[in-house]
Amino acid sequence: MRPSNSLIAIVLFASMARAQSARLPDGQPNMQGMYTRTGVKGLESEPPFNPIDPGEKNPLSVSNRGDGLGPYPRIFGEGGNVLRGQQARAQRPTGIVFPADKKLPWRPEEEAKRRQFLLDMNPPKDLRHIELNSRCALPGPFEGEDGNNPYTILQPPGQVVILYDYNHTSRVIDLNRREHLGKNIRLFMGDSIGHWEGNTLVVDTTNFNGRVAYSREIPYLSDALHTVERFTVVDENTIDYEVTIDDPQLFTGPWKVAGAFSKVSKGVESLEFACAEGSQTLQNIFGTPPTR
Amino acid sequence: MNRLQESIVVAFAAAVMICLAGASVTAQNAVATLNLPRTADGKPNLNGIWQVLNTAAWDIQDHTGQLGVPPGQGVVEGNEIPYQPQALAKKRENYAKRMTADPTETNCFLPGVPRATYMPYPFEIVQTPNHIAIRYEFAHALRTIPVNGSKHADGIPSTWMGDSRGRWEGDTLVIDVTNFNDETWFDRAGNFHSDALHVVERYTMTNADHILYEATIEDPKVFTRPWKMSMPLYRRLEKTVKLLEYECVFYLQEERYKNAPFK
Repeated sequence: MRPSNSLIAIVLFASMARAQSARLPDGQPNMQGMYTRTGVKGLESEPPFNPIDPGEKNPLSVSNRGDGLGPYPRIFGEGGNVLRGQQARAQRPTGIVFPADKKLPWRPEEEAKRRQFLLDMNPPKDLRHIELNSRCALPGPFEGEDGNNPYTILQPPGQVVILYDYNHTSRVIDLNRREHLGKNIRLFMGDSIGHWEGNTLVVDTTNFNGRVAYSREIPYLSDALHTVERFTVVDENTIDYEVTIDDPQLFTGPWKVAGAFSKVSKGVESLEFACAEGSQTLQNIFGTPPTR
Repeated sequence: MNRLQESIVVAFAAAVMICLAGASVTAQNAVATLNLPRTADGKPNLNGIWQVLNTAAWDIQDHTGQLGVPPGQGVVEGNEIPYQPQALAKKRENYAKRMTADPTETNCFLPGVPRATYMPYPFEIVQTPNHIAIRYEFAHALRTIPVNGSKHADGIPSTWMGDSRGRWEGDTLVIDVTNFNDETWFDRAGNFHSDALHVVERYTMTNADHILYEATIEDPKVFTRPWKMSMPLYRRLEKTVKLLEYECVFYLQEERYKNAPFK
């Protein structure tokens, strides 16, 4: 479960999972509804030791401690139980699908920097070494949830909008735009332009700010990051997902991850997930900052 | 003219005026109907990026300029806010310590409703037949609003942005908002509410680029009667306008924790 703070999430009624027509009035294939995501945070074949999250079976894993003594209150992971058992079903292998050996094409010097960065995260050397999720910042397109916190897709004319339950995050993908924002505008969520190729929404995203993580093992990507995502409507309940990560500052070539979105079968509603409003995380880690 | 003739003339004139008035109303309706952009399901199309052009974020009531505070005419109808006596004292106390005690400006906390609307940042309406989302640039605040006849959720914890339920009354989008906490202010001047706050927002498109925004405020713990704010929302017409990110919390942490660790 991802960290974050003051969780009030999910539950109850509603009826998003209903029969829907294949095409919307503006011609878009209809993929509106609430989904859970799986597979996107696929692990590398040899991920570096990560002192923050060494893996579910490692007793040192702070994010999986059942005794509540980790840095994040136990409530994280308790909010989304309605959705448990409704995890997305992928139609094909997920995680890293290119290169086939799941070894990411790191530039050697950048791989060394990453490993040092991970070691400097626990205990955190400074603010830079705190995960964005722990800071309640926008998580970027990938560090949402593979798990309990669902995604809702709305499609007003000319746009695809993805609402994350996680930390009231949202993304807009413009379908009628050709040019990205000016290069000095830098964003956590990036600037996304999409188009439909048959039943596949192809999304080109740039203008990242060099701060967003891909996963716990890849704690940052550079501002040269360029992603191409493909959301393919497989059927009324399933979206196949593939993302190509192209970050020439960190890697010698692009790599790809596959995942899936599955429609939530039991109706639920999004409720508020406040984060910064209840957070004591930074005080707990660093002590109280001097008064201004 | 005798009295009978006079009566006839007056009656005729009245009839003409009524006809003209009627024609004029019909014409206005026709013009309005023609001019409003509409969605495929026939509703006014509110999709787009909007922003206020007023100083309500600083003070929702009439106020004179100060250093860092642009002067402004208020957005409260009649200008007076009907505080109960104790609440008025609390408002004055808030005003006195406003530079450090406003949760939104001091801590970057979610601004609540209707304050999110008149923060000096744009917001984006995402409209579909059954669900409307409002994305605010400030603190990436987000409201997901069912427009499907559902009722307010029971038994959930109070929230910063409230529980919103939308419905259409003719061409007006009405959003009923409840389940607030008591931790947000209406402005930087210390106007406040309790957790009994109930807001009814009305979004009435007056032409393609303007929405009349009205918010009725009801809070029996703080006010003696309901009161109302109203203001126009302006469409952001820049050709390439996009909602960007104002990550207030992140920037604040960069400042407060730049020399961390402290222990």
